[in-house]
Amino acid sequence: MFKTMASIQDFTGYQPTWCPGCGDWAIGMAIKKALVDLNYSPDQLAVVFGIGCSGNMNDFLNAYGLHSLHGRALPNAIGIKLANHNLPVLAVVGDGDCYGEGGNHFVHACRGNHDVKVIVHDNRVYGLTTGQSTPTSPKGYRSKSTPMGLIEIPINPLALALISGATFVAQSFAGDINHLILTIKEAINHKGFSLINVLQPCVTFNKINTYQYYLKRVYKLDKNYPKDNFKLALEKTLEVNEEKFPLGVIYEVEQPCFHEQIPQVSSSTLVDKKRFFNYDILIKDFI
Amino acid sequence: MTFTWKIGGEAGFGIMTTGLIFSKISNRLGYCILDYIEYPSLIRGGHNAYEVCVSEDEVTALKKEIDVLVCLNEETFHKHKNRLTSESLVLYDQEDFDFNYDFKKINIPLKRILTGFKGEAVMKNTIALGASLAILGGKIDVLLDLIADQFNKKGEEIVKFNQQFAIAGYEEIKKNYSALIKSFLVEKEEKKERLVLSGNEAFSLGAVAADCRLYAAYPMTPSSSVLHTLASWQEKTGMIVRHAEDEIAVINTALGASFAGVRSAVGTSGGGFALMVESLSFAGVAEIPVVVFLAQRPGPATGMPTWTEQGDLLFAIFSGHGEFPKIVLAPGDQKEMFELTLKAFNLADIYQTPVIVVSDMYLSEGHKTVEKEWFDKTLSNYKINRGKINFNSNLKIQISKPKLKTEIFLRYKVTDDGISEKIIPGTPGYFYQENSYEHLEDGHTTEEAKPRKTQVEKRLRKWQTYLKNDFQLPKFYGDEKAKIVFISWGSTKGIVLEAQKKLKEKGVLTGFYHFNHLYPLDKERISQLFKKDKRYLLVENNALGQFGKILVMETGLAVEEKILRYDGRPITVDEIIEKI
Repeated sequence: MFKTMASIQDFTGYQPTWCPGCGDWAIGMAIKKALVDLNYSPDQLAVVFGIGCSGNMNDFLNAYGLHSLHGRALPNAIGIKLANHNLPVLAVVGDGDCYGEGGNHFVHACRGNHDVKVIVHDNRVYGLTTGQSTPTSPKGYRSKSTPMGLIEIPINPLALALISGATFVAQSFAGDINHLILTIKEAINHKGFSLINVLQPCVTFNKINTYQYYLKRVYKLDKNYPKDNFKLALEKTLEVNEEKFPLGVIYEVEQPCFHEQIPQVSSSTLVDKKRFFNYDILIKDFI
Repeated sequence: MTFTWKIGGEAGFGIMTTGLIFSKISNRLGYCILDYIEYPSLIRGGHNAYEVCVSEDEVTALKKEIDVLVCLNEETFHKHKNRLTSESLVLYDQEDFDFNYDFKKINIPLKRILTGFKGEAVMKNTIALGASLAILGGKIDVLLDLIADQFNKKGEEIVKFNQQFAIAGYEEIKKNYSALIKSFLVEKEEKKERLVLSGNEAFSLGAVAADCRLYAAYPMTPSSSVLHTLASWQEKTGMIVRHAEDEIAVINTALGASFAGVRSAVGTSGGGFALMVESLSFAGVAEIPVVVFLAQRPGPATGMPTWTEQGDLLFAIFSGHGEFPKIVLAPGDQKEMFELTLKAFNLADIYQTPVIVVSDMYLSEGHKTVEKEWFDKTLSNYKINRGKINFNSNLKIQISKPKLKTEIFLRYKVTDDGISEKIIPGTPGYFYQENSYEHLEDGHTTEEAKPRKTQVEKRLRKWQTYLKNDFQLPKFYGDEKAKIVFISWGSTKGIVLEAQKKLKEKGVLTGFYHFNHLYPLDKERISQLFKKDKRYLLVENNALGQFGKILVMETGLAVEEKILRYDGRPITVDEIIEKI
């Protein structure tokens, strides 16, 4: 079938409503650029969006989209992949969304190595509900919901993904769009569960984790960094405790994905399969 | 002749398997059955019992008297002796216990036989089955065949080893109790081929036949056996069965798959359903088809997990925040379960909204015989109707023409019947989004008043279309002229039917409206069914008379007389008769 290559414009939906300077702009643009670079068009992929400022990308990115509920994007993405594993599936979610409300789904999606690409807008704050603390906010963080300071220590999403079985664990920064584009392309090309934790300032509600804050503390992983070394990767994920933020693919290994281990869909997708008619082999058990 | 055989013993010793084998024996000998299990929510140490009501004709309710009670322990005797008569046969091991009541004693040396053949404790059940078959006048062959079916995979030696226990029990009766042998289970000359189906199995078969391709669930009694059944079939049927981390993931997996174009279903009970309702509302606004199998058990909270109740009807009808159309069906027996499951998948696709199939432990886990001929006919009459989901339609041909640019598809186009076209994600040339926010015709989020109103009305119009095209009035049973009319829904059907039969024998004519299309209800047509000069009685397995409340709410009809039961047990025929 004849098809011209899609452009950024083809992926561009309605005008975004994000705050000026918000990291979401860069993430939104990077996703579109990565898709264009990889030669996709909007009819060739599914994107599930969570609820939050990140999830509002649903209206700004053209694709077969599913704007889900807060926290529930991952099981939706898993369902889409099971139904049609030929369709690339992205999940665009936030830190409160994915690590808080959907924390249970996140761990189990890692375990299953479901072939979905999860792009987490990690701004350490609930933006859309006006600035409460999230699971990635630092201990002591003062917000409307924690005026005396947050008691819990933050979750470590990269380490959590790693020990839960994710086969692609990466970190990027909304202040470095080229790095972001590259990392998204690597995630899409990876076969299996992929997490990109995107460090992203919230210019309106988070006055601590600003562009300047991150610029001073991020660094790119060396070209020769061995991506398949689990122990080393785990060490990298713990650097956040010293306020150091490695950027790049921290861990990547190839393992069979969930759908590849289901014989029912080995020769065809679930949606394209022929209908089953041989009821007699089932009812033998009932006589 | 209708008789009840019941076996009881300690939990964890194969009572369920043994009971089901008895049901299958009766079926293979040409009889109809209805069975019922009682078990506690634990694996070892409690009391398990399984009763099978057997007859030459269809059995729709359990019988009060137990004709044959097999006691694998003393507790069984004491728990169930109040249902025995002087004609009842009690099979037990005198080495274990004895009793002084006026019942027919049949001593089976279970322990002695077991030790003699060096058997394991669970093989007592096989001895008891052999003895039961002998005392009821059946031939041993059918039991030996079933044992072979069960153990064939483990080799001939294991089959033979197990069969000897059955033979020993059988011979024991022939030798010592020939005078007491009945002819209840003499093989019938003309046999109809029948299936022994539980409600859950009927749902499972219906789901497969309706081309459901993804089933997700988290184990919860009494729905779990659907998960087990469909999982055990998946390599044959091609269905994907996902046991997800919780019920929230369960329904969202199904919604994702349904969005991507495959028929999807979930199964659960009250507590699990409570976790799903947030996403049920999502399915409502995003217009994603999904079939929810809700097997009720007594709540609130953990309640009584292994017992029965119809306590979640109002919850099902009102489930989900916000206003959106949903369809609630409640089959009355195994046949209706199969038919309505087939229909549920069509309705979910036609109306692009959740359809809830409500069952309960009594229907879900109890078995009933269903004629194979009926089953085959129902299957061959079934046509998949995906409504406006354009999978293989003209639209696909049209859109497969080369196009230079992809364009947005109006997923939520406003229509007279409230239903919009859907193309399957991945269809070339288009894209769209399904949205949990209120949205415009193209799926884009909106907070504007006018499109909001338009979309709310569009969605709710689906109910009008449903009432016009697919709603079914309650079925009427009994005498049209009768002044006494029962009203019930779901699994109480067979019990009311049996009560009607008994009342007729006493000269009392009754009528009976049984509802299985529970929500929405058609006010106009239902109101016409009810007459001022009749006595109506509501029969429900709950404390509030929940369907009665729906009837008042939707039609203004208040039924004052109620027969309700909410102790975890099914309503009995006698309870109904007593109220007349």
